[in-house]
Amino acid sequence: MLGLALIYLLINKKYEWIPKPLVERARQPDLLENPAAKRCGECHETIFKAWQQSRHARAWVSETYIKDSENRSKEKCLPCHIPREVRAGRKPEPRLKLREEGIYCVPCHVARGKINGPYALYSPPHPTDKSDGHRKSVFCVPCHEKTYKEWRATGHDDTCQKCHMPRAAGRLVQNPILKYFHAPKDVADRRFPHGEIGPREIALRVDFTPGRVRVVLLNDRVPHFIPTADNGDPRLYLTVLQFDGAGERLDKTREILAPQQETALPYKKEVAFQYPLEKGARRLSVLVEYKPAWSQEKTEVLRESYDINF
Amino acid sequence: MKAVCRFSCVAALVFLILVPAVASAKDFFVKQPPASLDKLYPPLSKEPKWIQQMHKMSGSFGGVFVNMKEGDWENAEKLAGQFVEAYKETSKMVPEWEEYFDLDAARKFAETVKTRDGTEIGKAAGPVGKTCGKCHGDNEVSVWAKYHWPSFHEVKVIDPHDDKEVEFDEYMKSISGAFKGVTVNFKEGQNDRAGKAARVFKAKYTELKSTCSKCHTNGDVKRFYVGESVSAALSGLVDELRKEKPDPGKVWQNVGIIGREGCKHCHLVHRSASFIKERWEEK
Repeated sequence: MLGLALIYLLINKKYEWIPKPLVERARQPDLLENPAAKRCGECHETIFKAWQQSRHARAWVSETYIKDSENRSKEKCLPCHIPREVRAGRKPEPRLKLREEGIYCVPCHVARGKINGPYALYSPPHPTDKSDGHRKSVFCVPCHEKTYKEWRATGHDDTCQKCHMPRAAGRLVQNPILKYFHAPKDVADRRFPHGEIGPREIALRVDFTPGRVRVVLLNDRVPHFIPTADNGDPRLYLTVLQFDGAGERLDKTREILAPQQETALPYKKEVAFQYPLEKGARRLSVLVEYKPAWSQEKTEVLRESYDINF
Repeated sequence: MKAVCRFSCVAALVFLILVPAVASAKDFFVKQPPASLDKLYPPLSKEPKWIQQMHKMSGSFGGVFVNMKEGDWENAEKLAGQFVEAYKETSKMVPEWEEYFDLDAARKFAETVKTRDGTEIGKAAGPVGKTCGKCHGDNEVSVWAKYHWPSFHEVKVIDPHDDKEVEFDEYMKSISGAFKGVTVNFKEGQNDRAGKAARVFKAKYTELKSTCSKCHTNGDVKRFYVGESVSAALSGLVDELRKEKPDPGKVWQNVGIIGREGCKHCHLVHRSASFIKERWEEK
Protein backbone atom coordinates (compact mmCIF):
# COMPACT_ATOMS: atom_id res chain seq x y z
CA MET A 1 0.00 0.00 0.00
CA LEU A 2 2.79 2.32 0.98
CA GLY A 3 4.60 1.39 -2.23
CA LEU A 4 1.57 2.33 -4.32
CA ALA A 5 1.21 5.61 -2.45
CA LEU A 6 4.86 6.35 -3.10
CA ILE A 7 4.47 5.66 -6.83
CA TYR A 8 1.38 7.87 -6.92
CA LEU A 9 3.27 10.67 -5.21
CA LEU A 10 6.29 10.26 -7.45
CA ILE A 11 4.25 10.34 -10.67
CA ASN A 12 2.08 13.25 -9.67
CA LYS A 13 4.44 15.40 -7.63
CA LYS A 14 8.08 14.46 -8.15
CA TYR A 15 8.27 12.65 -11.45
CA GLU A 16 11.67 14.20 -12.15
CA TRP A 17 13.03 11.92 -9.36
CA ILE A 18 12.20 8.78 -11.33
CA PRO A 19 15.46 7.31 -12.64
CA LYS A 20 15.96 7.94 -16.36
CA PRO A 21 16.69 4.30 -17.32
CA LEU A 22 13.39 3.31 -15.73
CA VAL A 23 11.59 6.03 -17.67
CA GLU A 24 13.18 4.94 -20.94
CA ARG A 25 12.06 1.34 -20.41
CA ALA A 26 8.44 2.41 -20.22
CA ARG A 27 8.54 4.44 -23.42
CA GLN A 28 6.61 3.40 -26.52
CA PRO A 29 8.51 5.23 -29.30
CA ASP A 30 5.87 4.71 -31.98
CA LEU A 31 3.67 7.22 -30.12
CA LEU A 32 5.93 10.00 -31.35
CA GLU A 33 5.98 8.74 -34.92
CA ASN A 34 2.67 10.22 -35.98
CA PRO A 35 0.42 7.33 -34.97
CA ALA A 36 -3.23 7.12 -35.98
CA ALA A 37 -5.76 8.49 -33.50
CA LYS A 38 -6.81 4.95 -32.62
CA ARG A 39 -3.36 4.27 -31.22
CA CYS A 40 -3.67 7.27 -28.89
CA GLY A 41 -7.14 6.03 -28.04
CA GLU A 42 -5.71 2.84 -26.56
CA CYS A 43 -5.03 4.86 -23.42
CA HIS A 44 -6.98 8.09 -24.02
CA GLU A 45 -10.22 6.31 -24.77
CA THR A 46 -12.65 9.01 -23.66
CA ILE A 47 -10.82 11.69 -25.61
CA PHE A 48 -10.60 9.45 -28.67
CA LYS A 49 -14.31 8.64 -28.59
CA ALA A 50 -15.22 12.29 -28.18
CA TRP A 51 -12.95 13.25 -31.09
CA GLN A 52 -14.60 10.63 -33.27
CA GLN A 53 -17.84 12.57 -32.88
CA SER A 54 -16.23 15.87 -33.82
CA ARG A 55 -16.20 17.69 -37.12
CA HIS A 56 -12.41 17.69 -36.86
CA ALA A 57 -12.49 13.90 -37.29
CA ARG A 58 -14.54 14.33 -40.47
CA ALA A 59 -12.39 17.02 -42.04
CA TRP A 60 -11.11 14.77 -44.84
CA VAL A 61 -14.05 12.42 -45.25
CA SER A 62 -16.93 14.86 -45.00
CA GLU A 63 -19.17 14.60 -48.05
CA THR A 64 -19.64 18.37 -48.11
CA TYR A 65 -15.89 18.90 -48.11
CA ILE A 66 -15.32 16.37 -50.87
CA LYS A 67 -17.99 17.97 -53.01
CA ASP A 68 -17.04 21.59 -52.40
CA SER A 69 -13.35 20.92 -52.90
CA GLU A 70 -14.07 19.21 -56.23
CA ASN A 71 -12.99 15.83 -54.96
CA ARG A 72 -10.31 17.34 -52.68
CA SER A 73 -8.51 18.94 -55.60
CA LYS A 74 -8.58 22.49 -54.27
CA GLU A 75 -5.18 23.19 -52.79
CA LYS A 76 -6.43 26.04 -50.64
CA CYS A 77 -8.42 23.59 -48.49
CA LEU A 78 -5.63 21.13 -47.75
CA PRO A 79 -3.64 22.94 -45.02
CA CYS A 80 -6.59 23.01 -42.63
CA HIS A 81 -8.30 19.77 -43.61
CA ILE A 82 -5.13 17.66 -43.28
CA PRO A 83 -2.67 19.75 -41.26
CA ARG A 84 0.73 18.25 -40.55
CA GLU A 85 1.41 20.46 -37.55
CA VAL A 86 -0.82 23.11 -36.01
CA ARG A 87 1.19 25.94 -34.45
CA ALA A 88 -0.02 29.38 -33.49
CA GLY A 89 0.93 32.03 -35.99
CA ARG A 90 1.49 29.96 -39.09
CA LYS A 91 -0.60 28.27 -41.72
CA PRO A 92 -0.12 24.52 -41.49
CA GLU A 93 1.47 22.47 -44.24
CA PRO A 94 -0.78 19.72 -45.58
CA ARG A 95 0.40 16.21 -44.75
CA LEU A 96 0.68 13.20 -47.00
CA LYS A 97 -0.01 10.42 -44.50
CA LEU A 98 -3.15 9.42 -42.59
CA ARG A 99 -5.23 11.96 -44.45
CA GLU A 100 -8.49 10.22 -43.57
CA GLU A 101 -7.91 11.15 -39.91
CA GLY A 102 -8.49 14.83 -40.74
CA ILE A 103 -7.56 17.01 -37.80
CA TYR A 104 -6.47 14.51 -35.20
CA CYS A 105 -4.22 14.16 -32.15
CA VAL A 106 -0.80 14.46 -33.81
CA PRO A 107 -1.02 17.86 -35.55
CA CYS A 108 -2.00 19.59 -32.31
CA HIS A 109 -0.13 17.55 -29.71
CA VAL A 110 3.15 16.26 -31.13
CA ALA A 111 5.95 18.80 -31.21
CA ARG A 112 9.70 18.70 -30.64
CA GLY A 113 9.63 14.95 -29.97
CA LYS A 114 7.15 15.22 -27.12
CA ILE A 115 3.44 15.17 -26.52
CA ASN A 116 2.37 18.74 -25.85
CA GLY A 117 -0.63 19.64 -23.77
CA PRO A 118 -1.79 21.95 -21.03
CA TYR A 119 -0.56 19.79 -18.14
CA ALA A 120 2.93 19.21 -16.76
CA LEU A 121 2.87 15.53 -15.93
CA TYR A 122 4.75 12.32 -16.15
CA SER A 123 3.46 9.82 -18.64
CA PRO A 124 5.33 6.53 -18.85
CA PRO A 125 4.65 5.73 -22.55
CA HIS A 126 5.74 9.10 -23.98
CA PRO A 127 7.59 12.24 -22.91
CA THR A 128 5.38 15.26 -22.32
CA ASP A 129 5.81 18.98 -22.46
CA LYS A 130 3.53 21.54 -20.87
CA SER A 131 2.28 24.03 -23.38
CA ASP A 132 0.52 27.21 -22.35
CA GLY A 133 -0.64 27.75 -25.91
CA HIS A 134 -3.18 24.93 -25.92
CA ARG A 135 -5.60 26.89 -23.80
CA LYS A 136 -5.26 30.14 -25.69
CA SER A 137 -7.47 31.24 -28.55
CA VAL A 138 -4.42 32.04 -30.64
CA PHE A 139 -3.81 28.29 -30.96
CA CYS A 140 -6.89 28.04 -33.21
CA VAL A 141 -5.89 30.97 -35.45
CA PRO A 142 -4.08 29.05 -38.20
CA CYS A 143 -7.41 27.60 -39.35
CA HIS A 144 -10.01 29.85 -37.70
CA GLU A 145 -8.47 33.24 -38.28
CA LYS A 146 -11.63 35.03 -39.31
CA THR A 147 -13.54 33.81 -36.26
CA TYR A 148 -10.59 34.70 -34.03
CA LYS A 149 -10.58 38.25 -35.38
CA GLU A 150 -14.31 38.54 -34.81
CA TRP A 151 -13.82 37.34 -31.23
CA ARG A 152 -10.90 39.71 -30.64
CA ALA A 153 -13.00 42.65 -31.82
CA THR A 154 -15.62 41.89 -29.18
CA GLY A 155 -13.08 42.30 -26.35
CA HIS A 156 -14.64 39.25 -24.71
CA ASP A 157 -12.56 37.28 -22.20
CA ASP A 158 -13.83 33.78 -22.92
CA THR A 159 -11.41 31.87 -25.10
CA CYS A 160 -12.31 29.55 -27.98
CA GLN A 161 -11.47 26.62 -25.69
CA LYS A 162 -13.79 27.84 -22.94
CA CYS A 163 -16.87 27.32 -25.15
CA HIS A 164 -15.70 24.80 -27.73
CA MET A 165 -13.55 22.57 -25.51
CA PRO A 166 -15.36 22.84 -22.17
CA ARG A 167 -13.52 21.11 -19.37
CA ALA A 168 -14.97 18.65 -16.89
CA ALA A 169 -13.37 16.68 -14.10
CA GLY A 170 -12.18 13.34 -15.38
CA ARG A 171 -9.14 11.33 -16.24
CA LEU A 172 -6.83 11.77 -19.20
CA VAL A 173 -6.38 8.02 -19.61
CA GLN A 174 -8.72 5.09 -19.26
CA ASN A 175 -6.11 2.35 -19.27
CA PRO A 176 -7.25 0.20 -16.31
CA ILE A 177 -3.91 0.38 -14.48
CA LEU A 178 -2.45 3.69 -15.56
CA LYS A 179 -5.58 5.70 -14.90
CA TYR A 180 -5.17 5.48 -11.13
CA PHE A 181 -1.62 6.73 -11.16
CA HIS A 182 -2.64 10.20 -12.23
CA ALA A 183 -4.73 12.52 -10.13
CA PRO A 184 -8.07 13.39 -11.78
CA LYS A 185 -7.86 16.44 -14.00
CA ASP A 186 -10.07 18.80 -15.93
CA VAL A 187 -10.37 17.18 -19.32
CA ALA A 188 -11.38 19.19 -22.38
CA ASP A 189 -14.24 17.95 -24.54
CA ARG A 190 -12.77 16.83 -27.86
CA ARG A 191 -16.13 16.79 -29.57
CA PHE A 192 -15.41 20.50 -30.00
CA PRO A 193 -19.07 21.29 -29.37
CA HIS A 194 -20.43 23.89 -31.58
CA GLY A 195 -22.84 25.54 -29.19
CA GLU A 196 -26.56 25.94 -29.32
CA ILE A 197 -28.18 28.58 -31.47
CA GLY A 198 -31.61 29.31 -30.07
CA PRO A 199 -33.80 32.18 -28.89
CA ARG A 200 -31.36 32.83 -26.04
CA GLU A 201 -28.54 33.45 -28.48
CA ILE A 202 -30.53 35.47 -31.01
CA ALA A 203 -32.88 38.13 -29.72
CA LEU A 204 -35.75 39.09 -32.00
CA ARG A 205 -37.66 42.35 -31.98
CA VAL A 206 -40.38 43.39 -34.40
CA ASP A 207 -41.44 47.04 -34.71
CA PHE A 208 -44.54 48.01 -36.63
CA THR A 209 -45.11 51.48 -38.06
CA PRO A 210 -47.93 52.37 -40.45
CA GLY A 211 -47.30 50.50 -43.67
CA ARG A 212 -43.95 49.09 -42.57
CA VAL A 213 -42.41 46.45 -40.36
CA ARG A 214 -38.89 46.37 -39.01
CA VAL A 215 -37.45 43.01 -37.97
CA VAL A 216 -34.43 43.34 -35.71
CA LEU A 217 -32.05 40.50 -34.85
CA LEU A 218 -29.39 40.68 -32.17
CA ASN A 219 -26.61 38.20 -31.46
CA ASP A 220 -26.76 38.75 -27.74
CA ARG A 221 -24.49 36.07 -26.30
CA VAL A 222 -22.00 34.57 -28.73
CA PRO A 223 -18.76 36.61 -28.86
CA HIS A 224 -18.17 36.21 -32.57
CA PHE A 225 -20.43 36.45 -35.61
CA ILE A 226 -23.23 33.89 -35.94
CA PRO A 227 -22.77 31.93 -37.99
CA THR A 228 -19.01 32.09 -38.44
CA ALA A 229 -16.53 30.28 -40.66
CA ASP A 230 -13.30 31.01 -42.47
CA ASN A 231 -14.20 29.05 -45.58
CA GLY A 232 -17.27 26.97 -44.81
CA ASP A 233 -20.73 28.23 -45.64
CA PRO A 234 -23.01 27.93 -42.60
CA ARG A 235 -26.18 29.99 -42.75
CA LEU A 236 -29.03 31.48 -40.82
CA TYR A 237 -32.24 32.01 -42.74
CA LEU A 238 -34.65 34.73 -41.72
CA THR A 239 -38.08 34.26 -43.28
CA VAL A 240 -40.78 36.88 -42.86
CA LEU A 241 -44.31 35.95 -43.93
CA GLN A 242 -47.36 38.19 -44.15
CA PHE A 243 -50.90 36.81 -44.05
CA ASP A 244 -54.33 38.34 -44.51
CA GLY A 245 -57.25 37.89 -42.11
CA ALA A 246 -58.24 34.58 -43.72
CA GLY A 247 -54.71 33.16 -43.33
CA GLU A 248 -53.81 33.53 -46.98
CA ARG A 249 -50.15 34.29 -47.55
CA LEU A 250 -49.61 37.74 -49.06
CA ASP A 251 -45.84 37.98 -49.05
CA LYS A 252 -42.72 36.03 -48.22
CA THR A 253 -39.24 37.47 -47.90
CA ARG A 254 -36.12 35.67 -46.94
CA GLU A 255 -32.69 36.86 -45.88
CA ILE A 256 -29.54 34.77 -45.76
CA LEU A 257 -27.19 35.55 -42.91
CA ALA A 258 -23.91 33.93 -43.78
CA PRO A 259 -20.22 34.64 -43.24
CA GLN A 260 -19.39 34.15 -46.91
CA GLN A 261 -21.97 36.75 -47.85
CA GLU A 262 -20.73 39.07 -45.10
CA THR A 263 -24.22 39.17 -43.65
CA ALA A 264 -23.73 37.12 -40.45
CA LEU A 265 -24.86 38.60 -37.14
CA PRO A 266 -22.13 40.48 -35.27
CA TYR A 267 -21.91 40.34 -31.48
CA LYS A 268 -24.16 42.79 -29.63
CA LYS A 269 -24.98 44.78 -32.74
CA GLU A 270 -28.55 44.95 -33.98
CA VAL A 271 -29.19 44.05 -37.59
CA ALA A 272 -32.46 45.39 -38.96
CA PHE A 273 -34.52 44.42 -42.00
CA GLN A 274 -37.37 46.60 -43.18
CA TYR A 275 -40.30 45.54 -45.26
CA PRO A 276 -43.45 47.27 -46.49
CA LEU A 277 -46.65 45.77 -45.12
CA GLU A 278 -48.85 44.36 -47.84
CA LYS A 279 -52.38 45.75 -48.16
CA GLY A 280 -54.70 43.67 -45.99
CA ALA A 281 -51.88 42.09 -43.97
CA ARG A 282 -53.18 41.05 -40.53
CA ARG A 283 -50.55 38.67 -39.25
CA LEU A 284 -46.81 38.50 -39.52
CA SER A 285 -44.73 35.42 -38.91
CA VAL A 286 -40.97 35.41 -38.37
CA LEU A 287 -38.91 32.26 -38.65
CA VAL A 288 -35.17 31.90 -38.11
CA GLU A 289 -33.50 28.66 -39.14
CA TYR A 290 -29.90 27.46 -39.00
CA LYS A 291 -28.00 25.31 -41.44
CA PRO A 292 -24.44 24.24 -40.58
CA ALA A 293 -21.76 24.21 -43.26
CA TRP A 294 -21.67 20.42 -43.41
CA SER A 295 -25.35 19.72 -43.91
CA GLN A 296 -28.31 20.74 -45.99
CA GLU A 297 -30.65 20.21 -43.04
CA LYS A 298 -32.08 23.29 -41.38
CA THR A 299 -33.06 23.45 -37.74
CA GLU A 300 -35.48 25.94 -36.29
CA VAL A 301 -33.88 28.62 -34.13
CA LEU A 302 -36.96 30.64 -33.34
CA ARG A 303 -40.47 31.26 -34.60
CA GLU A 304 -42.79 34.09 -33.62
CA SER A 305 -46.14 35.38 -34.85
CA TYR A 306 -47.54 38.89 -34.48
CA ASP A 307 -50.95 40.41 -35.08
CA ILE A 308 -50.92 43.52 -37.23
CA ASN A 309 -53.27 46.16 -35.90
CA PHE A 310 -53.02 49.01 -38.39
CA MET B 1 -15.06 34.50 -123.36
CA LYS B 2 -11.58 32.96 -123.23
CA ALA B 3 -10.30 36.07 -121.51
CA VAL B 4 -13.08 35.86 -118.91
CA CYS B 5 -12.25 32.19 -118.28
CA ARG B 6 -8.56 32.99 -117.92
CA PHE B 7 -9.38 35.84 -115.51
CA SER B 8 -11.70 33.58 -113.48
CA CYS B 9 -9.03 30.89 -113.22
CA VAL B 10 -6.41 33.41 -112.11
CA ALA B 11 -8.86 34.95 -109.64
CA ALA B 12 -9.74 31.52 -108.24
CA LEU B 13 -6.07 30.69 -107.91
CA VAL B 14 -5.34 33.98 -106.15
CA PHE B 15 -8.34 33.37 -103.85
CA LEU B 16 -7.21 29.85 -103.02
CA ILE B 17 -3.69 30.99 -102.25
CA LEU B 18 -4.51 34.18 -100.40
CA VAL B 19 -7.46 33.19 -98.25
CA PRO B 20 -5.73 30.40 -96.33
CA ALA B 21 -2.73 32.69 -95.93
CA VAL B 22 -4.96 35.38 -94.44
CA ALA B 23 -6.70 32.81 -92.24
CA SER B 24 -3.43 31.44 -90.89
CA ALA B 25 -2.19 34.94 -90.13
CA LYS B 26 -5.30 36.19 -88.32
CA ASP B 27 -7.25 33.24 -87.01
CA PHE B 28 -6.34 31.73 -83.71
CA PHE B 29 -7.46 28.26 -82.79
CA VAL B 30 -7.59 27.14 -79.18
CA LYS B 31 -7.17 23.39 -79.23
CA GLN B 32 -7.46 21.33 -76.09
CA PRO B 33 -4.06 20.40 -74.66
CA PRO B 34 -3.14 16.70 -74.90
CA ALA B 35 -4.65 14.48 -72.21
CA SER B 36 -1.16 13.48 -71.06
CA LEU B 37 -0.84 16.94 -69.48
CA ASP B 38 -3.62 16.03 -67.02
CA LYS B 39 -1.22 14.07 -64.86
CA LEU B 40 0.86 17.21 -64.32
CA TYR B 41 -1.99 19.22 -62.80
CA PRO B 42 -4.37 18.67 -59.87
CA PRO B 43 -6.36 16.61 -59.20
CA LEU B 44 -4.20 13.88 -60.81
CA SER B 45 -1.07 15.57 -59.52
CA LYS B 46 -0.77 16.97 -56.01
CA GLU B 47 0.90 20.06 -57.40
CA PRO B 48 0.71 22.00 -60.68
CA LYS B 49 3.92 20.36 -61.89
CA TRP B 50 3.84 21.70 -65.44
CA ILE B 51 3.75 25.38 -64.49
CA GLN B 52 6.38 24.70 -61.83
CA GLN B 53 8.56 23.19 -64.55
CA MET B 54 8.01 26.27 -66.72
CA HIS B 55 9.18 28.45 -63.83
CA LYS B 56 12.21 26.22 -63.39
CA MET B 57 13.20 26.67 -67.06
CA SER B 58 12.35 30.33 -67.20
CA GLY B 59 14.15 31.06 -63.92
CA SER B 60 17.39 29.42 -65.03
CA PHE B 61 17.28 30.76 -68.61
CA GLY B 62 16.52 34.32 -67.48
CA GLY B 63 18.99 33.95 -64.63
CA VAL B 64 21.83 33.44 -67.12
CA PHE B 65 21.24 36.94 -68.50
CA VAL B 66 20.83 38.50 -65.05
CA ASN B 67 24.23 37.09 -64.06
CA MET B 68 25.78 38.07 -67.39
CA LYS B 69 24.81 41.69 -66.82
CA GLU B 70 26.36 41.55 -63.38
CA GLY B 71 29.53 39.91 -64.73
CA ASP B 72 28.88 36.89 -62.49
CA TRP B 73 29.99 34.26 -65.01
CA GLU B 74 30.28 31.50 -62.49
CA ASN B 75 26.59 31.65 -61.68
CA ALA B 76 25.68 32.29 -65.33
CA GLU B 77 27.35 29.00 -66.29
CA LYS B 78 25.77 27.20 -63.37
CA LEU B 79 22.30 28.36 -64.38
CA ALA B 80 22.92 27.56 -68.05
CA GLY B 81 23.68 24.00 -66.97
CA GLN B 82 20.55 23.89 -64.85
CA PHE B 83 18.55 25.22 -67.77
CA VAL B 84 19.72 22.43 -70.08
CA GLU B 85 18.77 19.84 -67.48
CA ALA B 86 15.34 21.38 -66.92
CA TYR B 87 14.77 21.76 -70.68
CA LYS B 88 15.67 18.10 -71.25
CA GLU B 89 13.44 17.02 -68.37
CA THR B 90 10.53 19.09 -69.69
CA SER B 91 10.85 17.65 -73.21
CA LYS B 92 9.99 14.22 -71.81
CA MET B 93 6.99 15.28 -69.75
CA VAL B 94 4.39 15.59 -72.51
CA PRO B 95 5.18 13.15 -75.33
CA GLU B 96 2.93 14.98 -77.81
CA TRP B 97 5.03 18.13 -77.38
CA GLU B 98 8.48 16.59 -77.54
CA GLU B 99 9.07 18.01 -81.00
CA TYR B 100 8.81 21.57 -79.77
CA PHE B 101 12.12 21.09 -77.98
CA ASP B 102 15.53 21.50 -79.62
CA LEU B 103 17.96 19.84 -77.24
CA ASP B 104 20.97 20.59 -79.45
CA ALA B 105 20.14 24.30 -79.40
CA ALA B 106 19.85 24.19 -75.60
CA ARG B 107 23.19 22.41 -75.24
CA LYS B 108 24.84 24.84 -77.66
CA PHE B 109 23.46 27.74 -75.63
CA ALA B 110 25.00 26.35 -72.42
CA GLU B 111 28.33 25.77 -74.20
CA THR B 112 28.31 29.31 -75.57
CA VAL B 113 27.75 30.75 -72.09
CA LYS B 114 31.15 29.27 -71.19
CA THR B 115 32.79 31.52 -73.86
CA ARG B 116 31.59 34.56 -71.86
CA ASP B 117 30.98 36.33 -75.18
CA GLY B 118 27.73 38.28 -74.82
CA THR B 119 27.09 38.61 -78.55
CA GLU B 120 27.58 34.89 -79.19
CA ILE B 121 25.45 33.99 -76.19
CA GLY B 122 22.66 36.22 -77.49
CA LYS B 123 22.86 34.49 -80.87
CA ALA B 124 22.80 31.02 -79.28
CA ALA B 125 19.83 31.97 -77.11
CA GLY B 126 17.74 32.86 -80.18
CA PRO B 127 16.93 29.34 -81.43
CA VAL B 128 16.15 28.18 -77.89
CA GLY B 129 13.86 31.15 -77.27
CA LYS B 130 12.11 30.40 -80.55
CA THR B 131 11.21 26.89 -79.37
CA CYS B 132 9.68 28.36 -76.20
CA GLY B 133 7.80 31.00 -78.21
CA LYS B 134 6.45 28.46 -80.69
CA CYS B 135 5.05 26.19 -77.96
CA HIS B 136 3.66 29.12 -75.98
CA GLY B 137 2.07 30.57 -79.11
CA ASP B 138 0.39 27.28 -79.90
CA ASN B 139 -0.59 26.14 -76.40
CA GLU B 140 -0.31 28.72 -73.66
CA VAL B 141 -3.89 29.98 -73.89
CA SER B 142 -5.36 26.49 -73.92
CA VAL B 143 -3.22 25.32 -70.97
CA TRP B 144 -4.23 28.35 -68.93
CA ALA B 145 -7.86 27.94 -69.88
CA LYS B 146 -7.90 24.27 -69.03
CA TYR B 147 -5.79 24.07 -65.89
CA HIS B 148 -5.51 27.53 -64.39
CA TRP B 149 -9.10 28.63 -64.63
CA PRO B 150 -11.66 26.70 -62.68
CA SER B 151 -14.50 25.26 -64.65
CA PHE B 152 -17.63 27.21 -63.89
CA HIS B 153 -19.61 24.40 -65.43
CA GLU B 154 -18.76 22.25 -62.43
CA VAL B 155 -19.73 24.88 -59.86
CA LYS B 156 -23.09 24.38 -58.20
CA VAL B 157 -25.07 27.16 -56.59
CA ILE B 158 -27.82 26.96 -54.00
CA ASP B 159 -30.61 29.14 -55.31
CA PRO B 160 -31.70 31.29 -52.35
CA HIS B 161 -35.17 31.44 -53.80
CA ASP B 162 -35.98 27.75 -53.34
CA ASP B 163 -32.80 26.20 -51.86
CA LYS B 164 -32.36 23.99 -54.91
CA GLU B 165 -28.86 23.26 -56.09
CA VAL B 166 -28.45 24.34 -59.69
CA GLU B 167 -25.70 24.38 -62.29
CA PHE B 168 -23.78 27.64 -62.46
CA ASP B 169 -24.83 28.40 -66.05
CA GLU B 170 -28.47 27.86 -65.18
CA TYR B 171 -28.07 30.11 -62.15
CA MET B 172 -26.56 32.90 -64.23
CA LYS B 173 -29.52 32.69 -66.58
CA SER B 174 -31.88 33.01 -63.63
CA ILE B 175 -30.00 36.07 -62.33
CA SER B 176 -30.16 37.60 -65.76
CA GLY B 177 -33.90 36.83 -65.85
CA ALA B 178 -34.45 38.52 -62.48
CA PHE B 179 -32.42 41.53 -63.63
CA LYS B 180 -34.54 41.84 -66.75
CA GLY B 181 -37.60 41.51 -64.53
CA VAL B 182 -36.46 44.70 -62.82
CA THR B 183 -35.55 46.75 -65.88
CA VAL B 184 -38.37 45.64 -68.20
CA ASN B 185 -41.11 46.07 -65.59
CA PHE B 186 -39.75 49.42 -64.46
CA LYS B 187 -39.67 50.69 -68.05
CA GLU B 188 -43.30 49.61 -68.38
CA GLY B 189 -44.26 51.39 -65.18
CA GLN B 190 -45.02 48.09 -63.41
CA ASN B 191 -43.24 49.18 -60.26
CA ASP B 192 -44.68 46.48 -57.99
CA ARG B 193 -43.42 43.73 -60.26
CA ALA B 194 -40.08 45.51 -60.70
CA GLY B 195 -39.78 45.74 -56.91
CA LYS B 196 -40.43 42.04 -56.40
CA ALA B 197 -37.96 41.16 -59.14
CA ALA B 198 -35.40 43.46 -57.47
CA ARG B 199 -35.71 41.54 -54.20
CA VAL B 200 -35.20 38.24 -55.98
CA PHE B 201 -32.31 39.72 -57.96
CA LYS B 202 -30.65 41.07 -54.81
CA ALA B 203 -30.86 37.69 -53.04
CA LYS B 204 -29.54 35.82 -56.08
CA TYR B 205 -26.74 38.30 -56.66
CA THR B 206 -25.65 38.30 -53.02
CA GLU B 207 -25.56 34.50 -53.10
CA LEU B 208 -22.69 34.82 -55.58
CA LYS B 209 -20.48 35.90 -52.69
CA SER B 210 -20.79 32.38 -51.33
CA THR B 211 -20.11 31.01 -54.80
CA CYS B 212 -16.95 33.12 -55.15
CA SER B 213 -15.80 31.75 -51.78
CA LYS B 214 -15.62 28.29 -53.25
CA CYS B 215 -12.39 29.39 -54.92
CA HIS B 216 -11.48 32.78 -53.49
CA THR B 217 -10.40 32.66 -49.86
CA ASN B 218 -9.44 36.30 -49.88
CA GLY B 219 -12.33 38.57 -48.95
CA ASP B 220 -10.91 41.40 -51.08
CA VAL B 221 -11.30 39.30 -54.21
CA LYS B 222 -14.97 38.70 -53.45
CA ARG B 223 -15.46 42.38 -52.79
CA PHE B 224 -14.04 43.15 -56.23
CA TYR B 225 -17.21 41.59 -57.63
CA VAL B 226 -19.73 42.21 -54.88
CA GLY B 227 -18.19 45.05 -52.97
CA GLU B 228 -19.68 47.79 -50.82
CA SER B 229 -20.78 49.92 -53.76
CA VAL B 230 -22.58 46.99 -55.40
CA SER B 231 -24.19 45.93 -52.10
CA ALA B 232 -25.32 49.52 -51.51
CA ALA B 233 -26.66 49.72 -55.07
CA LEU B 234 -28.60 46.46 -54.61
CA SER B 235 -30.18 47.74 -51.39
CA GLY B 236 -30.74 51.16 -52.96
CA LEU B 237 -32.51 49.57 -55.91
CA VAL B 238 -34.79 47.48 -53.68
CA ASP B 239 -35.56 50.45 -51.39
CA GLU B 240 -36.26 52.82 -54.26
CA LEU B 241 -38.65 50.39 -55.91
CA ARG B 242 -40.54 50.02 -52.65
CA LYS B 243 -41.45 53.67 -52.72
CA GLU B 244 -44.79 54.70 -54.07
CA LYS B 245 -43.13 56.87 -56.70
CA PRO B 246 -39.64 55.57 -57.36
CA ASP B 247 -37.14 58.07 -58.72
CA PRO B 248 -36.08 56.78 -62.18
CA GLY B 249 -32.74 58.57 -61.85
CA LYS B 250 -31.92 56.65 -58.69
CA VAL B 251 -33.19 53.33 -60.09
CA TRP B 252 -31.07 53.56 -63.25
CA GLN B 253 -28.09 54.86 -61.33
CA ASN B 254 -28.14 51.76 -59.12
CA VAL B 255 -28.69 49.49 -62.11
CA GLY B 256 -25.61 51.08 -63.70
CA ILE B 257 -23.43 50.57 -60.62
CA ILE B 258 -24.42 46.90 -60.39
CA GLY B 259 -23.68 46.37 -64.08
CA ARG B 260 -20.40 48.27 -64.19
CA GLU B 261 -18.89 47.39 -60.85
CA GLY B 262 -20.32 43.91 -60.38
CA CYS B 263 -21.37 41.97 -63.48
CA LYS B 264 -18.73 43.51 -65.72
CA HIS B 265 -15.85 42.94 -63.28
CA CYS B 266 -16.54 39.23 -63.12
CA HIS B 267 -17.34 38.84 -66.79
CA LEU B 268 -14.17 40.60 -67.89
CA VAL B 269 -12.02 38.37 -65.72
CA HIS B 270 -13.74 35.04 -66.15
CA ARG B 271 -15.80 34.88 -69.28
CA SER B 272 -13.17 34.37 -72.00
CA ALA B 273 -11.74 31.26 -70.34
CA SER B 274 -15.24 30.10 -69.53
CA PHE B 275 -16.30 30.40 -73.19
CA ILE B 276 -13.32 28.34 -74.29
CA LYS B 277 -14.06 25.61 -71.76
CA GLU B 278 -17.72 25.65 -72.65
CA ARG B 279 -16.89 24.93 -76.28
CA TRP B 280 -14.52 22.12 -75.29
CA GLU B 281 -17.13 20.57 -73.05
CA GLU B 282 -19.86 20.68 -75.71
CA LYS B 283 -21.00 17.23 -76.66
